Amino acid sequence: MTRPPSHDTAIAARKTDPSRWLPMVFIAPVTLYLLAFQFYPLVQQFFLSVTSTSLLNPGSSTFVGADNYRELLTDPEFAQSLRVTVVYTVVCVVGSIFLGLMAALLLDRPFRGRGLARALVTVPWAAPPVAAALIFTWMYNAQYGLFSRLSQFLGFSAGGVNWLDEPSMALPAILITTLWQIFPFSAVVILAALQGVPSELREAAVIDGADRFSVFKAVVWPTIRPTVTLLTLLITVWSLRRFDVIWLMTQGGPLGETNTLVIDLYRRAFVYLDLGKAAAVGVIGLVIAVLVTVIYFWVSQRTEAATGKR
Amino acid sequence: MARFHPFHAAAVLAVLGVAVFPLYWMFVTSLTPSDQLFADRPQLLPSLAQLPTYIEAWSGTSLRHWLFNSIIVAVGTTALSIVLAILPAYALSRMDFRGKLLFGFALFLTQMLPEAMLVVPLYDIFTKLSLLNTLLGLILANAAFTVPVVTWILKGAIDAVPYEIEEAARIDGCSRIGIVLAVVVPLIAPTLAAAAVIAFFHGWNEYVFAQTFISDDQWRTASVGLASFIGELSTPVHTVMAVGFIYTVPAVVFYLFVQRYVVAGMTSGGVKG
Repeated sequence: MTRPPSHDTAIAARKTDPSRWLPMVFIAPVTLYLLAFQFYPLVQQFFLSVTSTSLLNPGSSTFVGADNYRELLTDPEFAQSLRVTVVYTVVCVVGSIFLGLMAALLLDRPFRGRGLARALVTVPWAAPPVAAALIFTWMYNAQYGLFSRLSQFLGFSAGGVNWLDEPSMALPAILITTLWQIFPFSAVVILAALQGVPSELREAAVIDGADRFSVFKAVVWPTIRPTVTLLTLLITVWSLRRFDVIWLMTQGGPLGETNTLVIDLYRRAFVYLDLGKAAAVGVIGLVIAVLVTVIYFWVSQRTEAATGKR
Repeated sequence: MARFHPFHAAAVLAVLGVAVFPLYWMFVTSLTPSDQLFADRPQLLPSLAQLPTYIEAWSGTSLRHWLFNSIIVAVGTTALSIVLAILPAYALSRMDFRGKLLFGFALFLTQMLPEAMLVVPLYDIFTKLSLLNTLLGLILANAAFTVPVVTWILKGAIDAVPYEIEEAARIDGCSRIGIVLAVVVPLIAPTLAAAAVIAFFHGWNEYVFAQTFISDDQWRTASVGLASFIGELSTPVHTVMAVGFIYTVPAVVFYLFVQRYVVAGMTSGGVKG
């Protein structure tokens, strides 16, 4: 280390780091841990997915090749599950970003008590999912639930209907619960991104006589678009993973109308005791999640390049 | 302060109303006498005379044990995630090594795994390791899902620490691990706090592992305990709601105090990965 200290010292020091093994020491514990509790079980699932294995006798399994996958392709229950998953995920993404954006725009303007308002809006995000499932299940109760009483009061229906038992209403009811839980996250993240909107630009646009929507389109949206893209990815992946709220409220029913892939996987394993097919569902779900992520990186890189050119 | 806009104020109040109402309703329901609960008109305000419901919820159910177990799981998940994540976060930020890209990608991949997908193989592993019906098993399962997020968040924070500070410590003869612990960790304390909160909430809320790996009532967590009331009819509704409220409120209040850090941590490091 006889070189004189310079601007490049940091980079040089990093490049000529004498110890090749030190980084390995740093990542070894976490690597071993994740190998044991994430990747080894994941690999087991892959193997399980090409076997026929019952939960009652997991010790004896027979290799069946791609049979599980082939059977899933023609399984109407699985097709429905894919459809439900797509609807659930798209509504979660679009709904929570739309509601979050609205809330963020409302809370971005200065007013008295804004700090308190920003804190209170995050309450649903902080509530445990099991508690959310409990309170919404009670609110959907056919006789005494608030939703039933309200629709009766407003004259929409005679009441006495539990949305969670209605094939056409169960998924919307689950979506209301989920959106209530996750819209604050979108709101808070978008709110943080809004701080990056150049205020001079916004003021200039207003002086030029631009209406609110044009200001939003021309000034606000370009600034927060990367954040919205990122939220799309996060909420997609979370929606594909979500288990607790759906399982506790409907267990995938009625008639499979809320049976997302993760619920389908759990049902096949613990209700139908078919571990092989459950694992195959999991593998397909994982492939979908990875594809979504790859598309996300592809799109965000392309838009980055496109905006860079301008 | 800006002028008062009635439309804006009404919209803000509507949003806050939607956000807070379900928890308010949980509270009201817990403080509604049974006969009122099933009356023709719902009771919209809590009756304070019903406060003994909370005593009943506290001592008439296993709530105390459940909460205690949840705290152990949440704290254990947090501690294990942080301890395991600091060094790899530093390595990702500061060091070049073979397989770095693969390592980073593998961490990212874990974020796509649903917990439900690993329930069966983990059950198998835990059976062999005698970790079923133990809180340690839950901690190990949960932290496997939080370590990658925590690592990415901490990496983002370490990226922002000027390298010169470390240089000085190195010239003074500190070892690399010594530098991380004595120099870097104090500098990223706010992000560390954010990451800790995220891990804590994961442990506090976690349901599917706790439901599947714990059959012994003694080791149940609050999420599973509360879930056992859903659709069950023998416990009075107001008691169930009181249990739910006691489980929810500490989490919400805690979050309100720390949310500023969490948002900063989530948006800076964690999501850039």
